[in-house]
Amino acid sequence: MDLLNKIRQLEDTARQIRIDIVTMIYQAGDGHPGPSLSVVELITACYFHLLNIDPANPRKPDRDRLILSKGHACPALYAALARKGYFPHSDLKGLRSLHSHLQGHPDMNKTPGVDFTSGSLGHGVSIGLGMVLAGRITGHDYYVYVITGDGEIEEGIVWEAAISASKYKADRLIVMVDNNGIQSGGPISQVSGIEPIIPKWEAFGWFCQQINGHDIGQIIQAVDNAKSQRGRPSLILAKTIKGQGVPFMVGDNSWHKRVPTREQYEQALKALGASVDG
Amino acid sequence: MARIGNTRQAFIETLMEIARQDPRTVLVCADSILVIRARPFAQEFPDRFIDVGIAEQNAVALAAGMASCGLVPYVATYAGFITMRACEQVRTFVAYPGLNVRFIGANGGIAAGEREGVTHQFFEDLGIMRTIPGITVVAPADQQQVKEATTAIHKVQGPAYMRIGSGRDPIVECEYRPFELGKIRILADFGRDVAIFANGPILNRAICAAERLRQEGIKAVVADVHTLRPIDRDGILELIRQTRSAVTVEDHNIIGGLGSAIAELACQDCPVPVMRLGLPDTYPRSGEPEALWDHYDMGVDDIERAARHAIALRNTNDDR
Repeated sequence: MDLLNKIRQLEDTARQIRIDIVTMIYQAGDGHPGPSLSVVELITACYFHLLNIDPANPRKPDRDRLILSKGHACPALYAALARKGYFPHSDLKGLRSLHSHLQGHPDMNKTPGVDFTSGSLGHGVSIGLGMVLAGRITGHDYYVYVITGDGEIEEGIVWEAAISASKYKADRLIVMVDNNGIQSGGPISQVSGIEPIIPKWEAFGWFCQQINGHDIGQIIQAVDNAKSQRGRPSLILAKTIKGQGVPFMVGDNSWHKRVPTREQYEQALKALGASVDG
Repeated sequence: MARIGNTRQAFIETLMEIARQDPRTVLVCADSILVIRARPFAQEFPDRFIDVGIAEQNAVALAAGMASCGLVPYVATYAGFITMRACEQVRTFVAYPGLNVRFIGANGGIAAGEREGVTHQFFEDLGIMRTIPGITVVAPADQQQVKEATTAIHKVQGPAYMRIGSGRDPIVECEYRPFELGKIRILADFGRDVAIFANGPILNRAICAAERLRQEGIKAVVADVHTLRPIDRDGILELIRQTRSAVTVEDHNIIGGLGSAIAELACQDCPVPVMRLGLPDTYPRSGEPEALWDHYDMGVDDIERAARHAIALRNTNDDR
C-alpha cells in the first residue's frame, strides 16, 4: 500500500478510536475526553504504523515501547490496543470499573500492551530513557516513544531526564509533546512559564521538530527525521487541539474531565460519523 | 568501644561480586559515586554504571524503566534522597508495578549523619518504606550483615530497600549468626524475662544492656530484627509470648520503624507492654554518634530502665 492510502486508512482508524473514546467515557461515567481526543493521531500513527510490536507477544524483549506519560488520556491508548488486537474490543466498556483490567490510568501489569504504568505526570521521559539504556545492555536496538502532555513538562523530573538523555546520547528516545495548549487549570501560557517549549529542549541538546499533531503524514515524517539523528534524543512538539473531532468540546476546557450526557454523546457520535448504536 | 567497619564498602564489594555473576546487575547513582565507594564498580563495569547527577527522582524512574526491560538496577545514594525526595517514584513506578529495583540508602539513622546534622540524618526511611506495599525492607546490623543482606536481596522478586550507614559503622560484637531474610537473629540469650528487639549498630547497646540486666538478675533475650518486611511474625511472637514484656531500640524516629512494627504485632496477637526507644519524634542535632544516641534516649541506661519498666507493667497486669 502506498503511503497516501496508508495515511487515509490511519485517519479512519483515528476516527474509530475517537468514537471508542467518547463511548468509553460515556459508558464509564468518568474520564478525560478532551486530552484523550488530542492525542489520537499520535497514538494511531505509533500503534498502527511506527511501532515494531506483536500483539500476540506483548512482552517481546526487542519490541519498540511506548509510554503514554499523560496517562489520563488512556481511553485513546486502550482503544488503540483493543483495535490492534491486544484484548477484545468489548473489554473497553469496562473502563474504570472494579473487575476490569482497564484501570483509570494505565497499568502495565493489568492491561496487555501497556509498556509502563503512568498517570502521575512527568515520568515518561525518565522511564523511557531507562528503557533505552537497558536496550544497550541487553543488546536490543528498539525505539522508545514517550507521549507527554505540554503542561506535564512543567515537572522538574522531566528536565532531570532531559539532561541525562542528552548526556547518554539517547538517540532511540523519541518524545512527542501533545501540545494542546491547555492544562487542567487553564491555558499553559497562563498557568505556567513553560513556553516557549522548543528553545528549552534545544538548549538541553535535543533534536526538536514542530508539527501539526493531527496530521498523520507529518507525524510519520517527523519520526523518520528523528530516527536519522545520531547521538541526540528527539522531541516532536505536536500542535494539537483539545477535544479534536468533537466540535462542542473544542475550546471548552470543562471537557478536560467531564462526562457527556446522552444527548451530547449522540451529538459527538454524529460529528464522528458514527451511528448512535456504535 | 566497638570496632569500626564500613557498610558502604561492604555493599559495593558484594555488589561487584554479584555483578560478575549476574549480567542484569546495574548501578544507578545520583552523583553518589563517592558516597557509595562506587569508583571500582564504574571502572570494572562501565556499561552498567549510570550516573544521572544530583537528580534522585530521575535516578529512580530511570531505574524503573531499566527494570521493566529485565535488568536489576541498584539505586544507591543517601537514604533520605531515595525515600523522601524520590518517594513517589519509588512507590508508583517501582513498588506498584513490582519491579526488581534495589534501593540502597546511606546515612540511615541519626548516628550516621554525624556532624552534618538533620539534612543528612535519615531517621524516617524505614517507616516510609514500610508503609509502601510490596517493598522488602532490611536494616542490617553491620558490615558483615550488609554483605549477606546484599546477597539476599538480590534474589528477591520485586523491590527491596536496604539501609546502610556512614562508612564508619560499629561492628556488632556477638557470636556470629548468619543473615536470613525475614528471620530474626538471637544475639544474646540470658532467659525469658524480657525481650529486647533492635536493629542496626545500636544492637551493641541492646546486648550491653542485656548483660548488665543479667548482673541484676533480669534475664533478657536480644533479637536483631533486620528485616522489617517481610517481618518474622512467628519468631517475634514466640519471644513475646515467652517474655510477655518487650523493649524496642532503634536509630530511627520512634514512629513508623521497628518499635511500631513490634507494637503492631504484639497488640493484635499477644498484647503485652512494649517500651519503644528511638529518636523521640524530634529533630536531632549534629554531634558524635555515640553521644547523639545517649542524648536522644538510646543509651544503655535507657534500655535497662525500659526493660525494668516493661517487666513491672507486665507484673502489674498479672496482679489485676
